[in-house]
Amino acid sequence: MEAQSEITSVSNGDNVDSEFDIVKCYRKFLRDNEDMSMPIAAIESLIELIKQSKATTISEFMESLKNASQTLKSSTRNSISLSAGTDLFLRFVTRTSHDVTNLDACKEHLMNSGKVLVEKAAAVRHKIAELGVQFIKDDAVILIHAYSRVVTLLLQRAAKYNKRFKVYVTESRPTSLGVRSSKILRKAGIPATVILDTAVGYIIDKVDAVFVGAEGVVENGGLINAIGTYQIAIVAKTANKPFYAVIESYKFVRLFPLNQYDLPTHTPDLLTFPDLSSSTQNDDSESIPSSPLTCHEHKHRKDSDGSSGGYPDLDKAANIESAQDFESNNPTVDYTPPQYITLLCTDLGVLTPSGVSDELIKLYL
Amino acid sequence: MDHEGQSMSASYEDQWLLGSSESKPKGVDNLSRSRGLSDPGNKEKKTVINSASIATSSKAIKRISGGIGAGGVGPSSGGVGSSPSSRVKPSTEGGLGKDKKQLTETISASPPKSSKRQSPGGNALFVQTAATTMMTSANSTGKKSMKEMTKAERRALQERQRAEKAARSSPNTAASKKAPQTNENVTPTPSEKAGSNTSGQFETIPVTKKSNVSGGISKGTNTASAPKEIHPAVLVLGLQFAEYKICGANARCIATLTAFKKVIQDYKTPNNTTLSRHLQTHLSAQINYLKNARPMSVSMGNAIRHIKWEISTIGYDSSDNEAKELLCKKIDDFIRDRITVSDQMIVEHGLQKIQDGDVILTYARSSVVQELLLKAHAKGIKFRVIVIDSRPRLEGKKLLKCLTEAGINCTYAFLHAVGFVLRDVSKVFLGAHAFMSNGTLYSRVGTALVAMMAKDNHIPVIVCCETYKFTDRVQLDSFVMNEQGNPNELVNISTSITSKPGQLAGWLQQPDLKLLNLMYDLTPSQYITTVITEIGMIPCTSVPVVSLRQDFKRVQVSAVLQGTYDFFVFINKLKRTKGASST
Repeated sequence: MEAQSEITSVSNGDNVDSEFDIVKCYRKFLRDNEDMSMPIAAIESLIELIKQSKATTISEFMESLKNASQTLKSSTRNSISLSAGTDLFLRFVTRTSHDVTNLDACKEHLMNSGKVLVEKAAAVRHKIAELGVQFIKDDAVILIHAYSRVVTLLLQRAAKYNKRFKVYVTESRPTSLGVRSSKILRKAGIPATVILDTAVGYIIDKVDAVFVGAEGVVENGGLINAIGTYQIAIVAKTANKPFYAVIESYKFVRLFPLNQYDLPTHTPDLLTFPDLSSSTQNDDSESIPSSPLTCHEHKHRKDSDGSSGGYPDLDKAANIESAQDFESNNPTVDYTPPQYITLLCTDLGVLTPSGVSDELIKLYL
Repeated sequence: MDHEGQSMSASYEDQWLLGSSESKPKGVDNLSRSRGLSDPGNKEKKTVINSASIATSSKAIKRISGGIGAGGVGPSSGGVGSSPSSRVKPSTEGGLGKDKKQLTETISASPPKSSKRQSPGGNALFVQTAATTMMTSANSTGKKSMKEMTKAERRALQERQRAEKAARSSPNTAASKKAPQTNENVTPTPSEKAGSNTSGQFETIPVTKKSNVSGGISKGTNTASAPKEIHPAVLVLGLQFAEYKICGANARCIATLTAFKKVIQDYKTPNNTTLSRHLQTHLSAQINYLKNARPMSVSMGNAIRHIKWEISTIGYDSSDNEAKELLCKKIDDFIRDRITVSDQMIVEHGLQKIQDGDVILTYARSSVVQELLLKAHAKGIKFRVIVIDSRPRLEGKKLLKCLTEAGINCTYAFLHAVGFVLRDVSKVFLGAHAFMSNGTLYSRVGTALVAMMAKDNHIPVIVCCETYKFTDRVQLDSFVMNEQGNPNELVNISTSITSKPGQLAGWLQQPDLKLLNLMYDLTPSQYITTVITEIGMIPCTSVPVVSLRQDFKRVQVSAVLQGTYDFFVFINKLKRTKGASST
């Protein structure tokens, strides 16, 4: 999910050529504003860059923007929704730069429009929540996965409309963001239970609908979301339960993955097999940590140095260092093909997966 | 929107009727004699029987435009449609021209239409031939009232009268006029078989040898008897098409456009009319000749429609030379923008999907896929290719040669082995002949098999297709619209240059055996993962959106733009400037 993707090693936060460190700025936006999603934070930081840009020609200006967005993308491990935001903003910038030729006027225009864009983005979630409420019927049992701001907003809105429903939330290891979701829902008066990720098949027959958010929607209408979404989608399809995706339209990404391994987040070092010939390898390092209930509540927005977040004695007892190894060896997002998705609730309306491509073509052509 | 199939069927009818009276060569008398049908007594008998079958087959004529509706009457007559040609053995006489002459008259029963559409075509032509025969019988037994004739018969009558008029003015065609009358008596007999099962008459038709060089179904490639206004470049092209010397949608389209450029350059507007009006008719004549040689591909159809649109927009005041120059430039632009540069863009997009370690499977030979694989190899990506091929065309061999010469590691297998090799495959790249509006792929026969097997194995199927091949047509199965190749190709089981006949060598003698050599098939959209076009990668379901939204007549890419980003920048800029100029 979005939040946990912030836990990455800061690799190149310092090698931006200008004094303006876009990655720091981006992180700052995320820290200061709980509700801001990654793409919006990226756009905000790009606007900051425009404010402080020392470029004198339009092409230099464009170059600096392009480089900054590249830097941003490479700074986080999971950059899909971030790249959706930066691509959208860059497209907007390009269009403006063709209409307005004066650099200063261009900058002015961009900053104002950027502000408007960010404001619109905040309102977009509420619009989606309104649209999505119609899919929750009275006495429904909903299944959600991990933590998505839009989905929780939707459920809260439905509760406000006095709809009675219950929610199963998957724990979604290794980030355990599902626990967070359940807390928020309970506060809103919605009965919520955390289930194991592995228990989705077990309860699917009790469920009436599945709602998930997304990091990004790809060109064919498929989703990129926290790891585990694809599994839930397959189970839901087999059990004939509708699978709804709830997503803002600025997260439409210009990607077309052919399968899981065609994602930019899939690197060759993921899910590799260990080299067992080396003698220094500890046998225990391959064993599964024995404390499943120790949730690594990775507080997002804090700089992570790769450690387990402050439980040193448990580390030793349960070999958490090795757990860290296999967690970092595992993917954080997966791709759900469009044939498993029933409908997408976006601020552009309720779309079918093939409708997403039509919308994208309208945007781009 | 003009349904391409329908407009072509209309012109096929016209062309066929025109051709039947004008383009009959001199050698036909030999043939009719050898068939023992030259005596008038026989003729009378056959025409009388024919009128009975006309009633049933005239219904089919009305359904032909529907295409699918003729299914009921279709298959039997479709099968019969091919049988006249199947009744004729390969000729051993030397000389291409002579062979072609015999070819044209013997297959007057199974003209291009049946090669284009199996069932409806056969019917229509039989009705027409029957109709013309009826004319002759009517002339001898008393004039039939106009009301009783069907539309096709009336048109046939008109054509006959027109031909007679032309014959009166030129003595040449007078001799040939007699020939069709005797000849057409041959053709109704197969329709009788469909109608009344009088198989006896079928067997009395002796088998004559004919050349197996040309398509076997096509007619009108007789260069000696082609209408006078056909440009020599088009004559050459027609022959090349009929003999499958030029194969592949892109190649055929470019060859056609290049030939048409020559036609336009040599064209002189007649005195009483303007270029924009007359040139279209002039070109239509050339197009009809090409259609007779081999049915038009969707790519050719779209290109020609584009040219005709360009012609129609030429002002009345521009001089001949200006107009011709402009048209040639437009044709060049079309080839460059919609084919050459589009192919380059497709390769650019496709390169993103080829990684080190990939095992790529491809079927038959697509020019774009070939370009893509060569470019990927040149870029240094380490991958290997499995080329799947199929008889009788064996087009994969050319691709294999090209790839191995470039140093790519290749495997070659036939279509029946595709299930076995799919185990190792990581991606499948396919080419396209056309894309239907419902997202189905119309491509070389066998493509559907490969796509379905790959999908079953969860292997992504990627189709590379330029947007000019998108058509508004919707086709639900492979039979409604297809092209038939020469059935004799199936007899030769050799996979090398020397031909080797197999078990089917005696198929002409067997009355119940027919060979079907289909050229294309349909792949439903759920088996295709993505389509790579010059505007990017889109899912199959978005094909109709693209052809609706982009106003291709105005978007022009003037150079190869690096990367999608710049391409979109350019397009956006163009859109805005065009928008500004139009308001």
